[in-house]
Parts: sequence; C-alpha cells; structure tokens
Amino acid sequence: MNRIEVKNLKFSYRRGEEILKGIDLTFNSESTAIIGQNGAGKTTFVKLLKGLLKPTEGDIFIKGKNTTEATVAKLAKEIGMVFQNPNDQIFKSKVIDEVMFGPLNIRQGVEEAKGNSLKALEVMELSDKVDENPYDLSLSERKLITIASILAMDTDIVIFDEPTISQDYFGKIKIKNIVKELAARGKLVITITHDMDFVAEISERVIVLNKGEVILDGSTDEVFSRDDILKSAYLEQPNITQLCKKLGYDRTFLTLEEFVDYKLAEN
Amino acid sequence: MAKTLSLYVERNTFIHRVDSINKILYVLVSVAIPLILPYKFVAIFLILISISFLLLAKVMRRVIPLIEFSVIILLSIVIIQGLFHAGNKTVAFHIARITFYKEGLSYAFTLSTRVINILLAFAILVLTTKPSELIEALVKKGLSPRFGYVLSSALQIIPQMMSAVGSIMDAQRSRGLETEGNLAVRIRAFFPLIGPVVMGSLIETRERAMALEVRAFNSREKKTFLNERQNLRSDNVIRLILFSILSLSIVLRVLL
Amino acid sequence: MKKVVVENLKYRYPLSENLALKGISFEVEKGEFIGIIGRNLAGKSTLCQALVGLVPHFYKGAYSGSVKISGMNVLENNISGLSKKIGIVFQNPFTQITAAKLTVYEEIAFGLENMGIEKKEMIRRIEYVLYLLDLEKYKDRNPFELSGGQMQRLAIASIIAMKPEIIVLDEPTSQLDPQGSEEVFKAIQSLSREGITIMMVEQKIEKIAQYTDRVMLMSDGEVVDFDVPQKIFLKDNLLNYGVQAPVFTRVCRSLNIKNKNTGLYPVTLDEAYELMVRHEQNRS
Repeated sequence: MNRIEVKNLKFSYRRGEEILKGIDLTFNSESTAIIGQNGAGKTTFVKLLKGLLKPTEGDIFIKGKNTTEATVAKLAKEIGMVFQNPNDQIFKSKVIDEVMFGPLNIRQGVEEAKGNSLKALEVMELSDKVDENPYDLSLSERKLITIASILAMDTDIVIFDEPTISQDYFGKIKIKNIVKELAARGKLVITITHDMDFVAEISERVIVLNKGEVILDGSTDEVFSRDDILKSAYLEQPNITQLCKKLGYDRTFLTLEEFVDYKLAEN
Repeated sequence: MAKTLSLYVERNTFIHRVDSINKILYVLVSVAIPLILPYKFVAIFLILISISFLLLAKVMRRVIPLIEFSVIILLSIVIIQGLFHAGNKTVAFHIARITFYKEGLSYAFTLSTRVINILLAFAILVLTTKPSELIEALVKKGLSPRFGYVLSSALQIIPQMMSAVGSIMDAQRSRGLETEGNLAVRIRAFFPLIGPVVMGSLIETRERAMALEVRAFNSREKKTFLNERQNLRSDNVIRLILFSILSLSIVLRVLL
Repeated sequence: MKKVVVENLKYRYPLSENLALKGISFEVEKGEFIGIIGRNLAGKSTLCQALVGLVPHFYKGAYSGSVKISGMNVLENNISGLSKKIGIVFQNPFTQITAAKLTVYEEIAFGLENMGIEKKEMIRRIEYVLYLLDLEKYKDRNPFELSGGQMQRLAIASIIAMKPEIIVLDEPTSQLDPQGSEEVFKAIQSLSREGITIMMVEQKIEKIAQYTDRVMLMSDGEVVDFDVPQKIFLKDNLLNYGVQAPVFTRVCRSLNIKNKNTGLYPVTLDEAYELMVRHEQNRS
C-alpha cells in the first residue's frame, strides 16, 4: 500500500477558479520537495493532504484512508505538518506543555507524550528551555518548538511548509539534519520550499508544480537538470548546478561537496 | 467572509453620486422632521421619498430583507401596544375575544413609521456610499485622521482576523485537536485558539503601527487627497434644499 | 556625501538585560548598496529600526550614541520627519498594508497623502513605482488579494514612492520565490544606481554578494567587519558568525582557485565561472 495516493485531484476555492487541475501522485518513503512559484498550488496541495481541505474532485488516500472519511484530528496521527507561522500555533505557557499538546491529542499516554516531547526538544537543542514560556523566546526558537511539537507526535509522514524562511545558517543546519534523520528513520518527509540549494541537499525526489499541475516529477538530479522547464515555472537550479552548467558539464551537480569531490578525483 | 465589511452596492446612479456628507445630512433631516412635525402623514411622506430614492439607486431589492425583518418586530410591537398600552380606552376592533385599542395601535403605528423611516434613510446612506469615501469625506471636514484610519482599517482588518482564526484552527486541528462533534468537543476546541488569536492580533497591530509611522502617518503636514471630489453645484443645491426643508419644518412647528 | 553616520550607537530594549547594540560606528556614502549579514539575533533588525527612528522613538529603551540620516539626528527628529529622508521595508508584507485603502493604487498613495504631496505629483510617482515593481496589472486589486510576493513588492513600492534618499530593507525577499527575489533585487539595484542609498538585511548570501557594494557583518550587537564582499567572504571564520560564504566562493576555495593578482576568491557565479575557465586554460 502506498503511503499517500493522490488520484485525479482537483480543487477550487470558488467555482470557476481551479487551483489544482488534476493531480496524480503517489508517495512512499523518498524525501520529497515540492517546489513552484507563489500561487502554483503547493500550500493548497498539502492542506488537502492533511485533510484541512477536501477535494472538489478526486481522492486522496493517506495509508489507505480516504481523507474525506476522517476528521483532520484523526488524520493527524498519520500525517503531521509544520506550519509556516509558529504564532498560529503556540498557546501554552510552557514549552514542554506546548510540545506535548499534539501527542496527547492523538492519544499517546502522558508518560509516552512527555518522553517523546523531551526527546524532540533535545533534537532541536532546546532542552534547556523546557520550562520556559514560549513567548519569551525568539521567533526562530519558536519555529523550532513547532517543529519539535510535530516530531513528538511521531507521525509516519511529516510535511514542512517553508521551514527555512527566516532561519540563519545554524537554523538551516538543524532543519537539514532533522529532515535527514526523519528520512533515515523511514518517515516520509515532504518539504515545500523556495530554497533550491536546500532542496538539493535534503531531497531524493522533487515535484514541480506550476499553475495547479505537476510539470515535473523525478529524482532531484533529474529535475534540476531540466533548467528549461524550471525556467518556465519561474524557478532556478541550485547555485552550484547553475555554475556547473555554465562551465559545460553534462552531469547535474547538486551540491558543492559532489562537485568538489568530482574535481579532485579528476586530478 | 467578505473581504471588507461593507454593505455598499456598486451602481452608477445619481443617488450614488451624491456627496456622502449630504447623505448623512439627509439621514439627520429625515430623523428630525417627524420629531419636529409629529403628524402621521409626515413620517409616511418621508418613507415614500426614501423609497423613491432607493428605487432610483436601484438598491431597493437589498432593502427588502431588512424591511421584512423590521416588519416582523414592529408587528409584535403593534400587537402588544394594541393590547396593553397604558391609556387604552377606545376599542378599535375585536379578534375572537381579544380586544385591540385605538390609542395603543395609534402609538405603535407612529413608532413604526418613525422606525421604518430611519431605517430607510440609513439604508440609502449605507447602500449607496463607499465606506472609504464616507470616512474620507468626514476627515476632509475635520474628523481626526487617526480616527478615520481606525474606522476604515477596521472594515478590512476584521474580516482578515476572522480568516486568521481559520489558519489557527488549521494548525491546531493538524495537531489532533478535534473540532467536529458534540458541543462539549467544540467548546473545548475553542481554548487553544484564544492565545494565538490574541497574540497574533497584538503582534500584527504593533507591526502595522510601525508601518504607519514610517509612512508619515503622524506627520503634521496638511494632508492631501488622491481622490479629490469636485464640489459639484448639485452638492450645494442639495444641501440648500435640505436645510430649507429643515428650517421650514421648524417654522411650521412654531406657527402651528 | 555621507548619507548615514552612526557613532558609537548603543541600545537596550526595555525589559531587556542585555544590550542589543553594543557600540556601533560606521558611515555610508550616497548611492552605496550595503548588505547586512549575520546570524539571527545579531542586532541586524535592531540596527534597521535605529536607522529610521523606531529605535528609540517607538520602542523606547536605553539609547546612547548618535545616528545621523542625511544630516538629521535621529534622536532629535520624529519618525514622520525622518520618513522624508529614510524609508524602511519590513519582513512581513502583510502588516505593511495599511488596510485603510481598497486598491493597490490608493495604498501607495497613503504615504504621499500624509506627506502632503500634490495630486499630480502623487499620480506621477504612483505610476512610476507601479511600473518599477511590475505591479501595473494589479493596480485596482485589493491589497489583501495579492500573493505574499506581490504584497512585498507593494510594500517596497509604497516606500519608494515617498522618495526617501535612503531605503532600509529587512529581509524583504524572505517570502518571495526565486523569480520574485530576483525582480526585487534588480529593482533595488536600479534605485541604487539612481543615487538612492540602500541598506539591506538578507540571508540570501549569493544575492548579497552579487548586488551589494559593501557588506556589514554583524554579531552579538557589534559590527565585526564592514568591507567589500570579496574581502568579507575571504574570511575563514565566517561560520562562527552564523554566515556561510556564497557557494561560488566556497567552491573556489575548496579547489584552491583564486585570483592571483588580488588574492581574493570570486563571490558571484560569473566571477567563479571566468576564474575557473581561466584556471582550466592555464592548466592545459
């Protein structure tokens, strides 16, 4: 059984304005990035996956369960999503309570929830802030708390909506490591982002959405080699890929390490 | 939810083009005259005038639900007053064994016509005037720009806040908060919303205040306006007519 | 002519124990395009706020030192007065919409109305910035109906219309897709070529390297270094400050390809390309 199955998904907020125009996709365990220009339908798509929106036409199956047949809360056990704005979510006065909220909702026992929450906070390097009030922390720390809240729920599928916005170098490293760690643990990670360099480093698969349709779907190096299609979707290749293309290499290089290793081996 | 809180109906009629200030004056005059000249036919006459304006403005259809609603309420007042008004003496008619009295009915009737008159006059103002234009007209006449801003921004910010609640709900539902089900479930679902909504509003309000500051909002310079309405001759004529009618009413009142 | 002169600026937010700015001094010339980089909480946003007077007039707090914008002392003028000379674009495009106007066109007019600009001039400026920020087809749209990226362009347009001599931008492209970011950077670069002084906080390091004249590296409330991109990105301890040099610089560094004359590494794609091509030619 596929973890996520999307069949002929169409969605409109209002009659006559189709946001998603017939999407067919399956997801299993490859770490996937969804990219596309603003307005292409990325956020709408993941909201549909989460069950927050219901398809106008077509079906979405999360581990065999049709999203129209379960409440969002029930689906939350299988599929977690880290939203863009931490302020939309945080409401408890202690970090640990905030992180435990999700796990408790999906029926983890108190001990289990606490254990998972502490572990998640440790991963985000926030163990020393466990009893603090989230509102006393900085925006980037609050963002990390929301990530911890979803990690603690230990869902099979995790979606990140623009995780690197407003993150500095250290923040990005943390997030990169988390994505890799989740993928290593066999979780399905789906990331929406504008940061192509980030995509190149953490994703095995890339889906390009443009005007509500999937125009490219493949492995990261396959997708990033198609700079013509990327351009039509108002996207660019990662920086290193652009440089190597200009230098005339046939191979699509995704990361600096990859290219440097190649060059050093060349010599 | 609509993008802005407004009952304005877009049309291109003479009434729509009348200056907002004049429409406010019309409301004030319509309210005042039945009080100055408390004859039954005065209110009815004004109602007919307002209705004809509404027809001219092609917004009569929007008013009908409002009228229906008020008629229901007024009808109950008529019944209650007809039956129980202090000073009921003269019998008007019987229904079965229930007696309706003239004094009560008369009182209720006067009250009803006045209420409908006010509603219709307001309807003309609200349905044919863009709130932003109205507020800008008031600011030009001296209303504090700060207050004018609070009014006009509220019309758009309130709907935005409502959809922000939606995003917050989404985030909490995503974390397993059950929002669908019996009343107890739905009440419990309310609490994780309060913090983010309040904090969100506070943060946004502060950020917006900063944005206003750097757009010279508190500048002492005399403000200019992009939308400069020509002072049409008809504006002045209408104003003159309104004041004349008002004065005439006062004169009549004194004389009669 | 020095447009921005900061001398030993120190600042502490109310209710805070630590100084957010610990004695900052620098000068910026007219027309310079300055990039401000550094890890989160380094004081970059606070510095931006200090340039336009939000610090200290809006935030209060403890303040010492001086900031002069086109000769105007920030402490002695109010924010509205300073807004004639210096404008700022914040990170969140949504809260920069006044919400008092129903169209993009009128939204841009808001600041101009406050400044008392005459109507014909208002129209001229609005049409110009609509063109500059590619917003012409949205001019009658309600600002709240725009996408995040369009909203940000609107915020920038609204400030540019006020014709400040200096514009400060605090991560203005954070919500934009790559195309949108590029358009914003190009628009800002053309402004700087027209003589407007730009100071921009950005995380997109490759863009900073490509567009700016000088880069200010901040850490922990201080200015660690303030120099041309090539010199800043030459530093080998950048990671300590939470900053990673542009990938083009790092690639050349890893492959030991530098400009023999200057001893500097390339910081942009084109520079890296040229140097690497020449390197290959020299080898063969």
